[in-house]
Amino acid sequence: MRDIFFDLSVRSVRLNFLRSLLASIGIVIGVVAISSMGMLGTNMQLMVKDQLTTGINTIAITPDVVRAEPGTSVSSNTGITDIQLREIRDAAGINEVIPIDRTNTQFSIGSNDGRGSIYGLDPADIKNIMNVSEGSTIRGESDAIVGATIANRFNLLIGTRIKIGEPNISVTRPVVRVVGILSSVGLSSTNGINSDNAIIVSDTWYSNQFGGENVYDQVNVNLKDVSTLSAVEDAIDKKVNRNKQVVRISDSSSRITSVSSTLSSLTTFILAIGSISLLVAATSIFNVMMMSVSERVQEIGILLSIGTEKGEIRRMFLYEAFILGIIGAIIGGIMSIIIGYSVVSAMIGNTAYFFLPESIVYIPAGMFIGMIVCIVSGLYPAWRASNLDPIDALRNE
Amino acid sequence: MNGTPLIRFADVSKVYHLESGDVTALNHISLDISEGEFVALMGPSGSGKSTMMNQLGILDVPSTGEIHIAGKNVASMTNLERTHMRRDVIGYVFQKFYLIPLLSAYENVEYPLILKYKKRDTTGRAAAVLKSVGFDEAMSAHRPNQLSGGQQQRVAIARALVNDPKILLCDEPTGNLDRKTGFQIMDILVGLHKEGKTVILVTHDPKIAEYAHRTIQLEDGRVVES
Repeated sequence: MRDIFFDLSVRSVRLNFLRSLLASIGIVIGVVAISSMGMLGTNMQLMVKDQLTTGINTIAITPDVVRAEPGTSVSSNTGITDIQLREIRDAAGINEVIPIDRTNTQFSIGSNDGRGSIYGLDPADIKNIMNVSEGSTIRGESDAIVGATIANRFNLLIGTRIKIGEPNISVTRPVVRVVGILSSVGLSSTNGINSDNAIIVSDTWYSNQFGGENVYDQVNVNLKDVSTLSAVEDAIDKKVNRNKQVVRISDSSSRITSVSSTLSSLTTFILAIGSISLLVAATSIFNVMMMSVSERVQEIGILLSIGTEKGEIRRMFLYEAFILGIIGAIIGGIMSIIIGYSVVSAMIGNTAYFFLPESIVYIPAGMFIGMIVCIVSGLYPAWRASNLDPIDALRNE
Repeated sequence: MNGTPLIRFADVSKVYHLESGDVTALNHISLDISEGEFVALMGPSGSGKSTMMNQLGILDVPSTGEIHIAGKNVASMTNLERTHMRRDVIGYVFQKFYLIPLLSAYENVEYPLILKYKKRDTTGRAAAVLKSVGFDEAMSAHRPNQLSGGQQQRVAIARALVNDPKILLCDEPTGNLDRKTGFQIMDILVGLHKEGKTVILVTHDPKIAEYAHRTIQLEDGRVVES
């Protein structure tokens, strides 16, 4: 059975349809603001975190900054030696160990000069840690694959030749041929290889040109299971740094924490901005409810004089606020999906995270908050209606 | 009622404290009304009729003195008890009908039943009472603003009767009706009195007051003739 007070509220809303609709629009805007802002922040957070965590299973081992003892000279050999590499392999166990050579140098493509990082990698490792979007991986001695940014900037195609090294009149610079182009990695280059801006060549070609055979600039350990991160780091540290600090072991977990917490404060901030619109909505609901009470003073007087309890009068007006809230929340919820999706796709350019629970939860949350705001706004008007003096109220024309 | 009157006013005064000074609307009134009486309350404007009706309708409490209705002291009741008494013991018929504009004729009559039993009427009582006051059943879905004055007053009487109250308070029930309709309404009230209701009627019209068996004349807040 339907509550007669609910019926009365529905009829009152219908009677003042335009006014009620306008008040509900305030709630719609509030719900949409909260939901879309929340989803925008969360989607940003999820995307950045995901990009960062693609590299979280990598431990990067680099030579420690050498501090010379007073009176001794600093060794020019500041790389990771073959012996150290073997120790790392021992400590890393089943995990994949990838030695990396790296240098920064100039290169020329036709008449255009550029500067970037040259990485020397074992061709067998390349296909494990890099994603070639076009062409193939390195097969021949002078094959190279290039990062997305470089490829884009210099309009590189498969087969383009690149001269590597500082220009020197007396020496002919070595040439590599582009066989593959890597897909863009953006922020996820947490494994110490900023491949977007890199030219990657085979390790043998690299040591032929730049020397440094059996010495590496960096060693990456790719973990099979990310939960073993600190155990593997400890093992490597105990083995390689047993006498003194010779390598630095780092990972990106701390970076993720700090970036995530920054983004989370940002989300809170934009949510707070969204909430302001709900405050405005609360005012308009309050206003409409007060109008509804003052227009119906005589009716309230009749209801009270024929034996309606104060609580029943309160209930009638709270229902009215609830109806305005639920209309606003439902329209707001539907529009949040549309507007939220558009905002996320326009501002983040990636809607892959939109329908994840962490993101979509902002829609029911926004609707719920919108409804609560409505009911709270109706509390005082309802209280006022129920406390009218029936004699005075009846006299009101 | 074992000799105890249904309504007893014992030295009742009502004083309104206004900015312009105190106004004594009821001045030491003592009277009894027994169950089954048909009483007309008369008097010029400002004589205290409305104040008296508000006291009888338990919409207000006296400044001094005691009012007992159906054996209960009005002043010592809680707000909720007074509300329930208005709902169960008293039926109110107003000059301006005061139907609930958002409810249909039928729902207006059903409303007090819902207040009392907290559920919609399934017994057919609302419809039966509407029929008993001569309301055209075909119009029961109409809203008050679609009804004539006479029809509205019939609905209002049905609403007042539906919870089977002991007392029927009628505040100028014919005041907004043409003469012919007014007499029809009075015939209904006479019938209800015959069925045992205690009817208290406020009127200016001596012709209407003739229906009553007893007239209480008020002047300046005092009973001048009872």
